[in-house]
Amino acid sequence: MKSKAACLLLLLSLLFMGMDGNGQEQDERNELLEQQNVLKEKIETLRREQDFLLFERALYATDSKYLIINLGAKRGQLKYKNRVLKDFRFTGSANLAKDALKPGTVTLTKKREYPGQRHVLFFGRSLVIQWKPPASSPYAENISRISLSKRDFQSIFYAIEKGAKAYIMR
Amino acid sequence: MQTTKKTILVILLFSCCIMAPFPVWAGDAAAPATIDALKDKILAMEQEAAVLEEENRGMMKMLKEMEDDDVYLVVDTESNRLTMRKGKTILLTAVVGTGSRQFVKEETGRNWYFETPTGSLTVLGKERNPVWIRPDWSYVEENMPVPPENDPDRIVRGVLGKYALILGNGYKIHGTKYTELLGTHFTHGCISVGDKDLETLYRSVKIGTKVYIY
Repeated sequence: MKSKAACLLLLLSLLFMGMDGNGQEQDERNELLEQQNVLKEKIETLRREQDFLLFERALYATDSKYLIINLGAKRGQLKYKNRVLKDFRFTGSANLAKDALKPGTVTLTKKREYPGQRHVLFFGRSLVIQWKPPASSPYAENISRISLSKRDFQSIFYAIEKGAKAYIMR
Repeated sequence: MQTTKKTILVILLFSCCIMAPFPVWAGDAAAPATIDALKDKILAMEQEAAVLEEENRGMMKMLKEMEDDDVYLVVDTESNRLTMRKGKTILLTAVVGTGSRQFVKEETGRNWYFETPTGSLTVLGKERNPVWIRPDWSYVEENMPVPPENDPDRIVRGVLGKYALILGNGYKIHGTKYTELLGTHFTHGCISVGDKDLETLYRSVKIGTKVYIY
């Protein structure tokens, strides 16, 4: 009976010893995974930063005006090379807050004039810039939209040409 | 015998419970990466981040070098506003007048369209008490006979304000008598500015200053 109890004790201690070692390993693994996630996020941020820097560098070399749209700050800039021509504020459609518009470059594909100066700038199917929507809405409800004051919009509408770039920042 | 069997069964059950959360013990096929593999991956990621940081620093430096701290002017012909900027700071916002966007036709067939030129221009000169040399369209517009080119009748003083900044091709930033029209499209292509703003511009702007008109 005594030997059985000893056996059981030995077995249990072996079992718990093993578990203790594995627990340490698990802790180390968790720490490494955490470190990996932090690095992943850092790399992502650096890539986004680089994407924007490449955009600015490329646009510096061209002769066209472009927009910087900062969705977080709800502010934008009209720029030419490295010079700011205009600062503006805007309001965004509800879906802008839901990450519907990804950071990066979009291109002005269409400039449409509508009665009552309710013109619209189309950046593909990603974004619409307007003052007020035209009477008969020319785009799908779920497209991301930003609205500017009438004066700011009029200035921007005539300042940029089809093919102009805009950089979306979050 | 019965007790022994029971003990073994309890031990087995207990072991299974303990081992279940640890797939290495349980012999799980989809075992997570080993600690060493994770360490290798982290090392590679750290290297990637370092490379990206280095590249971004280089690009930021390059873009910074492209920047200058010079004053520059921006004219928005849609909203008739002129801003004087230095870096990211706005030094002045002025309500101005720009080209009327209207045509004038002469019986002979000549015609003029009064529009402020857009693009990147440069201040080529600065004048005090500028004199206006009336161009042909000014006579045509008022149904007056056009005098010869060097006719002294063309020289008009005091209509362009105290100062003018010369942009080339006959275009200038100057003062106006029609201050009530500032903020509208009323000029023949020049940029008209109120007296106070004109003085500030004249004092702040150098020959060579960039003027961006859109």
